[in-house]
Amino acid sequence: MLNDLSFAFQLFEGMEKDNLSYIYRGLFTQGVTDKIISLTETNLANFGESSKMKKRVFSIMVEGLQNITRHQDVLSQDEKSGIFVIQQKKNRYYITTGNPIAKDHIPKLTGQLDKINSLEKEELKKFYKSVLNDNMMSNKGGAGLGLIEMARKSGNKLTYDFKKIDDEFSYFYLYTEISVSQNTEDKDVIYSLTNIKQLHNILNKENVLLIFNGLLNQDNLINLLSIIEEHMAHALLLKKRVFNIMVEMLQNIVKHGDSFETDKGNSGIFFINKKGNSYFLNSGNYINNKKVDNLKLKIEHVNSLDDKKLNKFYNDRLFNFQIDSSKEAGLGLIELRLKSKNKIVYNFYKINDKFSFFTIRTCIEYNA
Amino acid sequence: MENLHIKSTEDTPEIYFSPDENKFYISNKSLPEDAIAFFHPVFMWLNNYIDKPNKENIFTFKLDYFSTSTAKQLVKIFFLLEKLSEISKVVIKWYYQKEDTDMYASGLKYSKLIDLPFELIEF
Repeated sequence: MLNDLSFAFQLFEGMEKDNLSYIYRGLFTQGVTDKIISLTETNLANFGESSKMKKRVFSIMVEGLQNITRHQDVLSQDEKSGIFVIQQKKNRYYITTGNPIAKDHIPKLTGQLDKINSLEKEELKKFYKSVLNDNMMSNKGGAGLGLIEMARKSGNKLTYDFKKIDDEFSYFYLYTEISVSQNTEDKDVIYSLTNIKQLHNILNKENVLLIFNGLLNQDNLINLLSIIEEHMAHALLLKKRVFNIMVEMLQNIVKHGDSFETDKGNSGIFFINKKGNSYFLNSGNYINNKKVDNLKLKIEHVNSLDDKKLNKFYNDRLFNFQIDSSKEAGLGLIELRLKSKNKIVYNFYKINDKFSFFTIRTCIEYNA
Repeated sequence: MENLHIKSTEDTPEIYFSPDENKFYISNKSLPEDAIAFFHPVFMWLNNYIDKPNKENIFTFKLDYFSTSTAKQLVKIFFLLEKLSEISKVVIKWYYQKEDTDMYASGLKYSKLIDLPFELIEF
């Protein structure tokens, strides 16, 4: 499916265009968790959320992430890693976590969740206190407390589901909706748990590690880079090359993308996936139709050059100060070619008279 | 002359130019959103420094990572240092981590394109 570049566009469409959403899939280390939290902080601030909403989203996210880190130790294979999803639409946030758990734990967990869901606000508070007391004795550190906390903070019931992985393990999905008002109109649950389960399946298959959909600005770029930096346990050179290419791809969008139906900045999608011995870095963003032909020519030119000519082209552009901007000089594109050692794959989808959606993909191979 | 000290952030390098100590360092990561604006004070400072430089100057580049827009600003720094080398001695020390062949290649590239003595040093 990913061989078709339209996958980027489908994801983007599926993720509801300008609404914020991102997904991390992989091992949740403390480092990764911290970076996901700071990515969310940046975006909550970007959206100018009220401090009440910020606190709610924040505490539910932290509990959800802790749930994953606590229970993921049972499995560590690449294709069975946990998932964290945050989505935003209008004034609602949706946080979903998915992690493998041993089958034996399902009945107890189901019992806890059903109990929590059966309680009203005041009862939850009491229940929280009693579990807190019981937990003084247990060594697993707050079993069940996190869930109660999530239910209290969200003001909604916890939606959950399990999906069998094999005879021993299942995925445990937990889906929480956070809304400030209890306004239930327009409750077209676009982001349902069913959708995410399907998406998780695709992401597992395609080995997608990170998807970010939202405002692409320097702050988000830095946060995304640090997540990838935490995630990749590879040799220094490969890590730096991935870093390199991400910076050039995303800064291109920050500087030269066009905003569509919003004046907050350039929104777009970025995702990274790993297949065989290759990392694929993909981005998609709107650009003005007027820029399409020129950009196409630039990419074609860079794609047509061999290594020697590319290096010469790079040097020429490096010393060209007539246009004192690396993008105009095409340095970023040359860098993508040089660092990836592969041709740039790209596409333009015409959206309307004014805009196209521009997708680009680079591939970095490595020696396992 | 006053020192130039710009502390590093997550996307900008540390710059430490101290004529009294005869230390000139650029280190860490450089991927600013607007490289031209970020390096502007550096050019201003160097332009002033060239008027009354030390006799010998070692400029140390110990970068972990830099973006293409930074690459171009580095060229501008090197041009100023070429100018400085007409009146005083200038040596460039370019550091790279052992496995980071890309950083080594960048240093090599600059050393060929710029008319200054470069030392490529592993760390």
